[in-house]
Order: sequence, then C-alpha cells, then structure tokens
Amino acid sequence: MRIVTIAFHTFKESVRERVLYNLIVFALLLIAAAILFGSISVGVEQIILVNLGLSSISIFGLLMAIFIGIGLVSKEIERRTIYSILSKPVSRAEFIIGKYFGLLLTLFVNTAIMTAGFYLALFYQKRTLEARDLSVLSAVYFILLQFAIVVGLAVFFSCISTPILSAVFTFCLYVIGNFLGDVRWFGQESQSGVVEKATTVLYYLLPNFSDFNVIVRVAHGEKIPGYLLLSNSCYALLYVTILISAAILVFEEREFR
Amino acid sequence: MCTVILVSGFLALWPLQRNIDQQLGSSRNIADVLYLPSGKVLRRLSLGHDGLLADIYWTRVVQYFGRRRLAHSERFDLLGPLLRITTELDPQLLIAYRYGSLFLAEKPPGGAGQSEQALALLRRGIVANPDYWRLWQDLGFIYYWDLKDYPNAAKVFRVGSERPGAMAWMKVLAASVAAKGGAIETSRLLWLEIARQAGNEQIRRSAEDHLAALDAQEQIDKLNALLALYQKREARSANLLQELVAAGYLRTVPRDPSGVAYVIDRNGRARLGSHSKIDLKLLQ
Repeated sequence: MRIVTIAFHTFKESVRERVLYNLIVFALLLIAAAILFGSISVGVEQIILVNLGLSSISIFGLLMAIFIGIGLVSKEIERRTIYSILSKPVSRAEFIIGKYFGLLLTLFVNTAIMTAGFYLALFYQKRTLEARDLSVLSAVYFILLQFAIVVGLAVFFSCISTPILSAVFTFCLYVIGNFLGDVRWFGQESQSGVVEKATTVLYYLLPNFSDFNVIVRVAHGEKIPGYLLLSNSCYALLYVTILISAAILVFEEREFR
Repeated sequence: MCTVILVSGFLALWPLQRNIDQQLGSSRNIADVLYLPSGKVLRRLSLGHDGLLADIYWTRVVQYFGRRRLAHSERFDLLGPLLRITTELDPQLLIAYRYGSLFLAEKPPGGAGQSEQALALLRRGIVANPDYWRLWQDLGFIYYWDLKDYPNAAKVFRVGSERPGAMAWMKVLAASVAAKGGAIETSRLLWLEIARQAGNEQIRRSAEDHLAALDAQEQIDKLNALLALYQKREARSANLLQELVAAGYLRTVPRDPSGVAYVIDRNGRARLGSHSKIDLKLLQ
C-alpha cells in the first residue's frame, strides 16, 4: 500500500514536469509529420508512418525515462524531503520500488497518449483501421519493456551518482546495450581467449536492448511470435528485478547528512 | 526593447542567410552526398531505428532520381550507392528493389542506364526475400528488355514461376520468351503488367509510353509491309499514305497512339509524324 502511495505521488510529481509535455508535443508533431514525409516518397507511406511513429515513441520516451529517472532519488536528497519521507514508517526498499513504479506509470500514460496519436495518424492516412494494425501494439509493448529497463538503470545510477553522471551512464549503457552483439563478435574475432571471455561476460551481464528492436518487422506487417513476447517479458522482468535490488542495496547503505 | 531586438534579429537572419547562400553558391549543394557509405555501419549506429533510416534513404533515392530526371542529367552516380544503403538498412523494403531496379536499368535520360547494377540489386533482393516472386519477374524483365538476353530472361521467368504464389502468366511468359525472343506481343505483356502494378504515377506513365511506342512500332511495321506490297503491285513507290487509301490498301490514313498521322519518309518507309509525341527510342 505504501509503495502504491509513493508511486502515485511520483506520478503526480512527474506529470508536473514541463519537459514532459514538450517531449509529448514533439513526438506527436513528428508522428503527424510522417504523413507529409510519406508524400514525398514513393510506395512506403504506411511503412514510414509506422517507422517514424514508433521511433518517435521510443526516442522521446527514452528521453523522458532518462531525464526524469535520474532526478527521482537525487531531487529528494537535494530538497531534503528524503528525511521527512524516511522518518515515516516507510522502508528504503519501498521508497525505491514506489519511485520506480511511479515513473513507469508516467511513461506508460505518455506512451499510451503517443500511441493514440499514432493510430489517429494511421486512421487519417488509411481512412480505416484493420485488425492487423493491432500488431503495432507488440512493438509498443517492447518499447515499454525497454523503458522499464532504462528507468531501472536511471534509478540505480540516481542512487549512486549525481544527476548529470547518472544521465551519462544510463545513456551509455543504452547505447552499449544496442551493440552487445557486435561486442561479442569482436571478442570472438580477437583471437584472444581473455578478450573473448570478457566480451562474452559483458554480453550476458549488460542489458541487451537489441532484443527489443522489432519496429522494422512490424512496419512490414510481420507478426511478432508469442515466444518472443514471453521471453522478452521474462528478460525485462528479471533485469528490472536485478537493477531495483541493486538500487535498494546501495540506497540502504547510503548515509544522509 | 528586448522584443524589438528579438523580432528584428530574426528578420535580419533571412537576408543574411540568403547572402551567405549566394556567396557559397554551388558549393553549398550538399544533396548529392552519401554521408556514410555503408548501410551496415548506419544500421549499427541507428540504435534499432534502422527502418526509419531506410525510409529516409529511400526518400533520398526518389528525390535524387526525380531531380536528375528533371534536370535531363545523364549521370546518376549516387543512385546505385543510395539504393545499396537503403536495402542494407532494410532488406525487406521490397519497393526499393522493384522501383530502384527500374530507375537503374532504364536508359538515360529516363534512367541511369546501369543494367548490371540493377541486376545486382535484384539478386540481393532475391537472397533477402526468397519467396517474393515479383523480384524474379523484375529480374527477367531487365534481362529481356534492357539486355535483350532472351535465354537468361526465359530462365529467370521460369524459376520465378516456381516460387510460391507466382502468377500463372509467368510460365506463359517464360515459354513465350524462350520461343519468340523479343517479339512485340511478349514485350506488350510485360509492360502491361508493369502498368497494372505501378503504384506510382511516374512509373505508370513510363509503362504507358513504352506501350504506346510498341503499338506505334507494330503499326509502322504493318504500314511498311503494305508499302512494299503497293510498290510490288503498282510498280512505283507511294509518296503519301493517301495513295494507299485511294488504292484501297487502307481505309483511312492511320494515326499513332498520340493521334498524329503517320507519314512516308524520303526512302519510302513509314514513320511517325513530326508532331508525334511517341518516342520510339524507348524501344532501343
């Protein structure tokens, strides 16, 4: 119950951020621009709308996740509100979990708004919506899973570092997480046992964001298989659990003066 | 005060930028630049947004091709590389293989006249999309129309006809090309199919122009046969087609698909009228 209260308050606090509305407006403008962009190309009008629409949702959601996530804990410390919260019967673990779910809820609501904007643009372009258009939702779901991990990273770094460094670390890990396949391949090509082992460890240790990249497949009308939905959901759940546990561990040990 | 500075500052930017553009002139023309020459590298750098980048590159292909065509340019140096990057970014972007190969293969000034690059593009498309039979149709078309390589065209049409979902006429086409080579009726069948499938006005118009040229060529061949018959029977050459009408060989002076009457040239052969909009060079 206490987690729900903290989450709800975090959500209310997040939606007051002006940057959030700016990012949503930018994303919706980009989705609308996809219609114009399609008209200067040939034969790919709908593919462009899906690609640009989903990429906008992903990129702007990612920016929201990083820039709001990094301030979740540090702001409370900076404003010294952390003392009044922790003086109440709230454990540090509940505080972190509540904060995490609060931001996730914010991102969920924002993604829902952007997805509604996307479907509106699709309806405007096609003058109809079909059952197969729902396949886009599987890509949106994967984007949300990415956000869940990114928020986890942001919360974790927010517990151990300054907001700017947290943003840098989170963004770097997101980029590396998209290149993990290459990192492993470089290791295999290096002809060095140590490097190969190190890159293999990194491959399994760091969050593999490329698992969630299905935008192109959805844009070509491909259906995402159930096993991928299940395995990616399990992967995200497991990774978020690890990150939140690590954040709680660090936060439990932290001293506030 | 600040508002005045702000507004006047923005207003001053416009003539200033125009002045800089004029000074830099053609060196500012950055449209014909690849930026990154490898689609595979771009794909890695896209952080999962490779589909969006492929769309951007495909739009660049369309804009580049359209601009060059409008300028009646015979050089399309970036067309091949841009198409390669597009299809490396999104190997399932079928439209890039289909229209891209047409852009590449068509002879200048209508296209780049790079049939070999068009073949390479389609072969890559077939490897990435082995079940899509239309790419075999396009491959066969380039062998047939641009390279006049009828044995290979027939072979490609036959292999394509065996792909899942291939239309029955692919088999007919394979047999027809194998038996008659570059016969007009085979060419017409191919161009009719391209006109029927074209989702783009420019390609539809091009197919219709080719069909009109084929019709005109067929009519000219028939007229030449009649002129030869006239000469044999009447023991003299006709100078005007009206003479064939008067002698009962024709009911009226025939007109080409653009509505202009055919004429007889100095050598006694039928040809298009000087105001005709038909371009027989398309058939070369």
